Amino acid sequence: MAGISAKEIKTRIRSMESTKQITKAMEMVASSKLRRAQSRVANSRPYFEILYNSITDIVQQNADLSSPYLTQRPANKAIYVVIAGDRGLAGGYNSNVLKMAQAEMKGKDVTALPVGRKAADYFKARNIPILTQQYAEAEDMTVGDCFSVAKQLCKAYLAGKCDEIVVCYTNFVSVLTQTPGTLRLLPLVHTKSRQQSSDILYEPGSVEVFDAIVPEYVGGILYGALCESRAAEQAARRTAMDSATQNAQDMIADLSLKFNQARQAVITQEITEIVAGSNSSF
Amino acid sequence: MTSFSLKIVTPDGLQYDGQAEEVIVRAVSGDMGILAGHANCIAPLGMGKATVVADGKRRYAACIGGILSVMNGNVTLVPTTFEWVENIDRDRAERAYEKAQAVLQDKSATPTDIRLAQAKLRRALVRKSVAGNR
Repeated sequence: MAGISAKEIKTRIRSMESTKQITKAMEMVASSKLRRAQSRVANSRPYFEILYNSITDIVQQNADLSSPYLTQRPANKAIYVVIAGDRGLAGGYNSNVLKMAQAEMKGKDVTALPVGRKAADYFKARNIPILTQQYAEAEDMTVGDCFSVAKQLCKAYLAGKCDEIVVCYTNFVSVLTQTPGTLRLLPLVHTKSRQQSSDILYEPGSVEVFDAIVPEYVGGILYGALCESRAAEQAARRTAMDSATQNAQDMIADLSLKFNQARQAVITQEITEIVAGSNSSF
Repeated sequence: MTSFSLKIVTPDGLQYDGQAEEVIVRAVSGDMGILAGHANCIAPLGMGKATVVADGKRRYAACIGGILSVMNGNVTLVPTTFEWVENIDRDRAERAYEKAQAVLQDKSATPTDIRLAQAKLRRALVRKSVAGNR
């Protein structure tokens, strides 16, 4: 057989098989993690939506308040919270969200707050200042962590250390589609004109209310984004590993065919030689 | 009694979605009762017992942190933690209480540990008092 011997093909088949086993195992792990993450997303989505809607409502209805959270400052310095995964081998999951973050950050004075080891490595490699490395493990981040990050971010915002806070994450649309997205957390946007009269009762006072509510809001939204991202990561990994397993299978089938051909060729040649030998002895 | 629509959501899921006649929650400035027809109102929540009256029945829950908003007659409660009294794990609250106490007694504890222990202690106390009310 031209080029490769039967033995070489056999070694390749064997290595392909062990690769297939690994990708298959990773797919199964991702599937089971995905199931858990999916139910968490389903649980947290109403919270995410209602929290977002009620804050938007409050901001829209409110006319006279001049809370620092509402005032738009020229966006000189921004903090970007970027949520990516801890591990690779998840298709385009990490690179999509990081690419989008990079495009958003262009031309701004940016400090990054990476969540997930891949995000931390990415910003370190590009010499982008990092706020804290504390949350480099996306897998271990809890609700409590989200709220403490939110408190920290709001403090930095009020102190004037940044003029804008944005979160970059991945939307879990379905098991097959995940789209990266950005959400501006602060300042809160006031889209409607300020003509409505404000008839909201703030208990105890508007300043206290906003001071207490905004960190809560930021924390809740961060947690929602984290849940979405985690589910998206597992879904992306599952799809990637599924196609890797499929590819390995195709390659094994291809190689087995070649192996059989090579083996057959050896047998045929042997028979020809024997026949030729016995013919010549007469 | 006239009822109003009430939604209670936490990061763990939707806890209540339906009509209610009265809600009493612990806001940062004290207990607040909401009836139908309440003016638009926003208040941050403190830590304490929440009471929901629906169909004449009173239900109690431990409600910690978050936001209460009344907008055009719809009441939305967005707490960080919301546990109905029947879901409270009393033994766990008891254990958390003792653990937090131990940290607070410990003279070598760091300020962060003490702050965390204090927060845990407060949460455990809320859970214990709500569960004790059953």
